[in-house]
Amino acid sequence: MNADPLKQFLQAEGATLVGVGDVTKALSREIIHLGRGVAIAVNRSLTRDTVDLLVRLQALTEGWLKAKGYRSLSIPPDSDRKMGKMISKLYKLFCHKTAATCAGLGWIGKNGLIINERYGSKMTWATVLTDAPLATDRPYVSSQCGDCDLCVRHCPSGAVQGHLWSLGNPMREIVSYDKCRSLKSGRTSLKEKPNCGFCVTVCPYSRNGKKNSN
Amino acid sequence: MADEARKKEIFEKLRNGVIQYDEDACREGAQEAMAEGLDANEAIFDGLVSGMEEVGRLFEAQEYFVPEILMCADALYAGLDILKPHCKQMDLGVKGSVVIGTVEGDVHDIGKNLVKMMFDVAGFTVYDLGRDVPLDKFVDEQLKTDSELVCLSAMMTTSMVGMPKVIEKIKAKNPDCMIMIGGAPTSKELADRWGADGYAEDASNALKEAIKMVAFLKKLRDEKIQKK
Repeated sequence: MNADPLKQFLQAEGATLVGVGDVTKALSREIIHLGRGVAIAVNRSLTRDTVDLLVRLQALTEGWLKAKGYRSLSIPPDSDRKMGKMISKLYKLFCHKTAATCAGLGWIGKNGLIINERYGSKMTWATVLTDAPLATDRPYVSSQCGDCDLCVRHCPSGAVQGHLWSLGNPMREIVSYDKCRSLKSGRTSLKEKPNCGFCVTVCPYSRNGKKNSN
Repeated sequence: MADEARKKEIFEKLRNGVIQYDEDACREGAQEAMAEGLDANEAIFDGLVSGMEEVGRLFEAQEYFVPEILMCADALYAGLDILKPHCKQMDLGVKGSVVIGTVEGDVHDIGKNLVKMMFDVAGFTVYDLGRDVPLDKFVDEQLKTDSELVCLSAMMTTSMVGMPKVIEKIKAKNPDCMIMIGGAPTSKELADRWGADGYAEDASNALKEAIKMVAFLKKLRDEKIQKK
């Protein structure tokens, strides 16, 4: 099933990147029938507007699929999870990075974030899982970071280890989140921004991204 | 008071809202029901629960899967939250309170939450202990609240082994208390061997069992109304 009409439709509605990946291997029993992940990204900073845009794009995707008789499940952006709901139990069963890498929209960088060739890590992501047999894009199976270690050197908490991600070794810890978090909590008390974000800003891909989006 | 056609229309809206997991429709339907002065209990049973019964059927027919069930449950709660404060306590001869939780060592609670929902719907007072609940907490809570029913849930074999201990302790202190167990590793045989009074295999079966139970309550209620 051709996915191009869906991609064009979503891009016309404001999506920056849309890709389709075969995510079957990453699914647990409750959602195993939803073998395709539609990864949607917007290259805007994380604001209420960005999240609203993504949620709208997800609703449009669901509608598009439903009209063709297919099921879908939206995994909302991480910052828009109403955890009190029954359905929110399922959100943590799936991670946007899986959809993004499977859909060939980026790899997981040394900074632990999705890096897209054009926009770097300055993206906000959402996923729609579906049982529609959409044609899939070519996935990333390994890191394209190479020898670059800017984010490792600039990380103030030493959380970024410098490991290269690969699909074959999913259990490897790339970023020590405890260290990252400990820095965050310290910063909050100093009334600074909780996220330092150096690993995003120093990434050459993200810097190019800024140029591209202007 | 609204006429029959209007009443039917509102109940149908609630029912379809649940089936099509449309939270807004359920909320609207519930508000309309209250605005028209309809009976809240009736709106719950003939609207929301009737929708959930259909959802159970769609699940059995493999038209719906776990995500749809959960979305339907959210829609049902959206309506229930509005209707519940207007409910009259149903007089069914049972007090109707239940202690429910997932046993120690287990954090799976989808099935437990679905069962809890149907108890909520049926007007039970639910003492939800959450997940990963220490075994003695069930015993203490039952004694404290004097609940007629205790529901134990487990998804993993390793956590299931705690169940017989809880059942034994509760039955020793309070033989009249009913105990239901549920979760993937449990079975009818285990329930019988451990002295549990009821059993549901997984989230969907738990939902079906709970729907049956609520349907039974509804029948009781209807009979009572007819007698009047």
